[in-house]
Amino acid sequence: MNMIYILFTLMFGGAILTFLAHKVSGLLRDTLFVLTVLASTVLFYTKIHTGDTVDFSISGLSLQWGINAYGRIFSMIVLGLGVMASFYSVSYMKGKERLGYFYFNFLISLMSMMGILMSHDLVSFFIFWEMMTWSSYFIVIYNGKNVQRSGINYIIFSALGAYAMLMAIVMVYAHTQSLMIPDMMQAFPFFPAAYKIWLPILFLTAFTVKAAMMPLHVWAPDAYADSPMAYTSVFSGALSKMGIYGMIMVFVTMVNYLPDDTWFRETIAWLGAITAIMATLWAIAQDDARKLLAWSSVAQLGYIITGVAVGTPLAMLSALFLSVMHALFKATLFMAVGAIEKQTGTTKFTEVTGLIRKMPWTFISSLLAIIGLAGIPPLGGFVGKWMLYESLINSNHYILVIAIFFASTSAFLYCYKFLFGFFLGQEEKEWEHVKEAPALMVLPMIIMATLLLVFGVFPGIVLKPIDLGMQTLGYSTTAGTFWSMSGLFNEWGNQIMMRPLAYAIGGTFLFFLIILTVKGFKETRYVTTKDISSSGEVPLEHENLTFSEGFYQPFLRAVCPVMKRRMMTYYQGFGQGMEAFFDYLRRVYSGNGQTYAIYVIVFVVILLLFKNSLFG
Amino acid sequence: MKEILYYTWGAIVSFVVAFSVGITYMGLNRKITARVQNRYGPPWYQNFIDVIKLYSKKTSIHHGVMHHMGPAFIMVTAVVSLLVIPILNGNKFFPNLNFQGDLIFLLYIMVFGPLGMALGAGQTGNPNSAIGVTRGLSQMAGFEIPWVMALVALMIQYKTTSIVDLMNVQVESGRWLMFSSPFAFLAAVMAMLGMFRYAPFDIVGAPQELASGPMSENGGKYLFVMMSAGSVFTFAKLTLYVDIFMGGADNLIILVVKTFTLYLIPMLYGITSPRYRTEQSVRWFWGWPSFFGLLAILQAALF
Repeated sequence: MNMIYILFTLMFGGAILTFLAHKVSGLLRDTLFVLTVLASTVLFYTKIHTGDTVDFSISGLSLQWGINAYGRIFSMIVLGLGVMASFYSVSYMKGKERLGYFYFNFLISLMSMMGILMSHDLVSFFIFWEMMTWSSYFIVIYNGKNVQRSGINYIIFSALGAYAMLMAIVMVYAHTQSLMIPDMMQAFPFFPAAYKIWLPILFLTAFTVKAAMMPLHVWAPDAYADSPMAYTSVFSGALSKMGIYGMIMVFVTMVNYLPDDTWFRETIAWLGAITAIMATLWAIAQDDARKLLAWSSVAQLGYIITGVAVGTPLAMLSALFLSVMHALFKATLFMAVGAIEKQTGTTKFTEVTGLIRKMPWTFISSLLAIIGLAGIPPLGGFVGKWMLYESLINSNHYILVIAIFFASTSAFLYCYKFLFGFFLGQEEKEWEHVKEAPALMVLPMIIMATLLLVFGVFPGIVLKPIDLGMQTLGYSTTAGTFWSMSGLFNEWGNQIMMRPLAYAIGGTFLFFLIILTVKGFKETRYVTTKDISSSGEVPLEHENLTFSEGFYQPFLRAVCPVMKRRMMTYYQGFGQGMEAFFDYLRRVYSGNGQTYAIYVIVFVVILLLFKNSLFG
Repeated sequence: MKEILYYTWGAIVSFVVAFSVGITYMGLNRKITARVQNRYGPPWYQNFIDVIKLYSKKTSIHHGVMHHMGPAFIMVTAVVSLLVIPILNGNKFFPNLNFQGDLIFLLYIMVFGPLGMALGAGQTGNPNSAIGVTRGLSQMAGFEIPWVMALVALMIQYKTTSIVDLMNVQVESGRWLMFSSPFAFLAAVMAMLGMFRYAPFDIVGAPQELASGPMSENGGKYLFVMMSAGSVFTFAKLTLYVDIFMGGADNLIILVVKTFTLYLIPMLYGITSPRYRTEQSVRWFWGWPSFFGLLAILQAALF
């Protein structure tokens, strides 16, 4: 049997076995769950090679699965995050209810993401896409919190996207009589003009729902925040990237052939930038860490969308690189929030403070992830941001680059809020008992944070597979022209070398750290955060002076005009309008027999009057 | 190995120069402020005395690891930006890393330190520190916009993101960029007011209000490192402005004259101004400075 069948059998069978094992014993269930993810990862990387395909047909439709170099970039994210999150979940979900249900959906969503990456035909693509939506929906409502708001929003927007995609697939099939994606790409330049406009729009509707682009983003903050953190790391890190995966394919294969593609690209690029700005501002306003990170995910995907839409080789490189980096740092941060939630029972900045001494490893990994998110060298986020800025400047998007820069600078505000809110500030008696999270939860975070540092200094490690994938999409190789192992270049020939700069940063830091530590080592002792003088007063034991309420109030006052309008209110207004309209229509059913008699008579009269034109 | 030693030597030499010049500027600032306010004021070398005093003082407390590391973070920003900014034209006497980094790298490394120091300030548990940090970050979101607009305008006009290339353009044409791109210069100088955090933008330290903000709870060796970093960073920023707008400098004396002239702008503007509130300060940068930034981009894109 072909290895690709075995991969899917393994993942699907593993999911069912895990579900059944829940009835037998918890240990067996956890072991099966982790083993399934590990085994499929090992199988994928050892036995399945780029270019492998498998053909089969179901009721006359010929279908094909396989993997190309482009899919491999994303499989790296899905399986890498999958392994990390599976170890994390075993510890995080311990003691919760309905674990069989959770693990089953977790595995199914991993499998469907691999399926999306390996589908070469539109039917399996659509089926896997729907499986991904449903499995993630079941996990979003797993907690039972805000099911109305987060669950229904998510499924409605996903359904909207799915219908759009289905319509596009039917249009393609009607015209080409083939469901293979390569056939569609080859036939696209010869499609009628109306098709050429509608197909990309319909496909992009489906993909931008998952990538949470404005105006289709409203489901994302709630859905990310309400699912268990063990899954949110995959949800925000990998599942949303499926939208990016599809978007890139649409842009490369379809938008390139539009008669005038500039307006199309500009619109999407600007929508991405506006998403980034608005989501950043909303993230700053949040007091709950899960909400903050959820909005921040929406913002980060906005940068990626802008990069995809601009579409120059450097911009595409940056979008794909940022996708990998975003998966790493956002998964780490969601896991850190999960760890804090598990140890303290809350995720609100206003409630929990001063955890740095109690959860040092969580702090270190979140610190690295935050530095990566903020795009500060020498971590991975900087490399992606550098390429994005350079590509925008080189391709004459002058105002767009300012917009992206604004979003990225404002991101420092919520970055600091995250670290300060949880880890810094005055330590409180209430949280004295808090201990570091279990090793199984801490290790994945530390591994991913370390990877961020490695990829920041040697971006070539990630850029190499990305380059191969881009060649599959028809770009010429970018190795040597835009990047080397630790160097980056722009189209004007300017360069940046990460390795010497990282050495300079590390060396300076160590040097001054040693000076600070060695000088007066014996005299300097630790005192608690209560032992301070605030304007000459020393706070008492029960007083907590941590600044956490209204953290960025002055900044929010400065930007309040743009935050008055929310997309959600428009949707709600639309919903209320529809409700009122149908409420009006409902009056047809008056419940009075005489009214119905009149309807029958009017109907017969109309039939008689227009008899000739209707049936003649 | 030889290369690393070479660059380390360059870093030490530039550091010593930047430190002494920067600290003299701060002393002169105090003197000039005093004279404007009709006081006698401290001598110009007062800040040297202060730094030495801080160094020789015994530091008896710290509030934790992050607080301990905070000053080292801010030093990274000061030293690495000094390494990336060419000090003299043609890279004379001061070997540095400017061929490894560019303007966008500089923009980001400039926020590395403040963010690290903000974390240190956060761990002290002093509410004034955290309030100061939030104000500082808000203000940064304000002034970075005109500042980036000015830089983007220069980048697209001269098709380069490297500082050295911008300097060479000025040397070859014999014309300073502050005259050939006046709007970019205006926007950048207005952004500089926020960068230097003198009044009316002194909301971060805010004397009489926040008790020196993020700096509070720091003393002895910590304040010593912070103060040195501040003076080195002051010099680095001024040198950057001279490099990209005023044609760089051929020797140290010209550099000192040019940087001091630039330094007078935020200093004198500050002496004669009261303090803004945070939202006023943020909005100020999104008003006229950003308008000039837009004009600069238009000028670069159209002409």
